[in-house]
This record gives sequence, C-alpha cells and structure tokens, in this order.
Amino acid sequence: MAAANWPDKDDHELLTLIQDGSHPAFAELVRRHTERFYRLAYRYVQNKETAEDIVQDAFLKLWENPGTWEAGRNNKFTTWFYRIVANLCLDWQKKKRPVELPGEANTLADDQEPVDAAMIRIQEQRLLEREIGDLPERQRMALNLCFDQGLSNQEAAEVMGVNLKALQSLLMRAKTTLKDRLKAYL
Amino acid sequence: MSDIKDEKLEAMLRTRRFESASPDLVERIILKAQSIPQNQTVSLWQWLRQLFAESHLAKPAYVIAGILILGFVIGFSAPAVTTTDDTDTAQTQGFLYADEGLL
Repeated sequence: MAAANWPDKDDHELLTLIQDGSHPAFAELVRRHTERFYRLAYRYVQNKETAEDIVQDAFLKLWENPGTWEAGRNNKFTTWFYRIVANLCLDWQKKKRPVELPGEANTLADDQEPVDAAMIRIQEQRLLEREIGDLPERQRMALNLCFDQGLSNQEAAEVMGVNLKALQSLLMRAKTTLKDRLKAYL
Repeated sequence: MSDIKDEKLEAMLRTRRFESASPDLVERIILKAQSIPQNQTVSLWQWLRQLFAESHLAKPAYVIAGILILGFVIGFSAPAVTTTDDTDTAQTQGFLYADEGLL
C-alpha cells in the first residue's frame, strides 16, 4: 500500500490494520496522536521524561495487545486512549508521589517581556501548577481535558465516564477552589 | 467582578506552559514497536476461519462434508421404529415355543 494513503485513513481503519500486524498503520497512528497524549501525560506528571515514557508505554501496549481495542465497544479512539494514558499517569503517581513541579529552568520567560512582569508571570504559573496539583484527581482531570486538551465538555465527560452534569460540577468546583486560592493574582 | 476573575482564570488555564516532547519521541515509539511481537487474541470464529483457510479444500468438499454431517445428525436423532421389530420378535418367540411343545 502506498505510504501517501496512510494519512487519509481514519483511526478506526488504522486500528483494524494494526490488529492485522501493520507497522505502517501503527506508525501513522503514533505520528497523528503522540503530541496530544504527551501533553496530557505532562500535565499529570510535570516531567518531560516521565511523560514521554508513559506515552511510549501506552502506545507499545496497544501494539502488543491490539485486541484491547474493540471497535464495537469504543466510539472514538482518542476518547478510549485518553483514559488509558490517564490511568497510566495515575498508576505512576501512586508509585512515585509527590509530583515534581517545574522549577525556574522549566518555566521559561519570554525574551521581550520586562523582567518584573516575567517574574510575576512565572510566579503565577508555578502557583497555578501547585494549586492544580492539589486538586482532587477527578477535578484535575476535568480541567486538563477541557482547558488543556481543548475537548468539549461532552467529550471530556465521555473520557471520564461521567455524565455532562457531573463533569460541569467537577469543573465548577475546581474553578471555585482555584479562584479562591489564586485571588491575589486574579 | 466574578466574571472577570473567571475569564482571567480560564485564560491562565489555557496558557499554561509546558515542555515540548523530544523531537524523536515518535520515531522512538515506532522503532521500539518493531522489536516487539504482537499478542494476537483470536476469537473462536477467527480461529475457525483460519483453520478452514489453511486446509485449502475446494468448496464441493465442504458441501459433501456438510451433507454427511447433516445425514448423521438426522439419522441419529430420528426415533427408532420399534413396532416392526416387536412383531418380528413375537413371531420368532412363538415359533420357538411351538418347537418346545413338540419336544
């Protein structure tokens, strides 16, 4: 099959081919989705190497056991895989707590920003990450999916296996807590 | 006031910084997968299909085999006709008893 055809195939077609042992189909799926799943993992573990390891682990598990994907049971690959990556992150957190927050080196300042403004922004970001890290796990996941991954509330609810109202409630509670804790910066 | 706070918080949430993944992450995953064999979970139906696909028999062979199996099933499941047998047995016994009378 010509390489140019791979990007035209949807995720379900690629997964069927992966179940038949197709490496090019797997490569296309990895190219297509690594960035978004890495981003989610990074939000959980706050560490580049660990986030990369988790995403690699998730994809390799899919390759090794392609039968875990059941087209009839799962509507959308990304919804299903978000859950897998999130579960791996939670497993990691249970073993390796506490999460290392980004230090000065990881919270880069914009070159053109005045020094004072940059310092305040860096401080804001560090505090925000700390407060998000202290939220209950489900509230944190709801925030990450909706604000960081850009999922709609409905999609985020599907990933988390809750109904829309429950998700909205999680988001509201998370935002109320953050607004209270970050009031000096808002 | 609360709306402004909401907006500012949402803006902060949407502009959280993060470290980009290594440029070679994708290739690393793809390369690693090439050295890992897949565990194929085969359903009963898939297993049967593979079994028949490997036997490479012509279609008429399956038809004949199917008819034979059907014949056996019908043959074994049909109720045994015992009326004729019973009559034959009675006649034979009657004949034997008649002989005994002579002796």
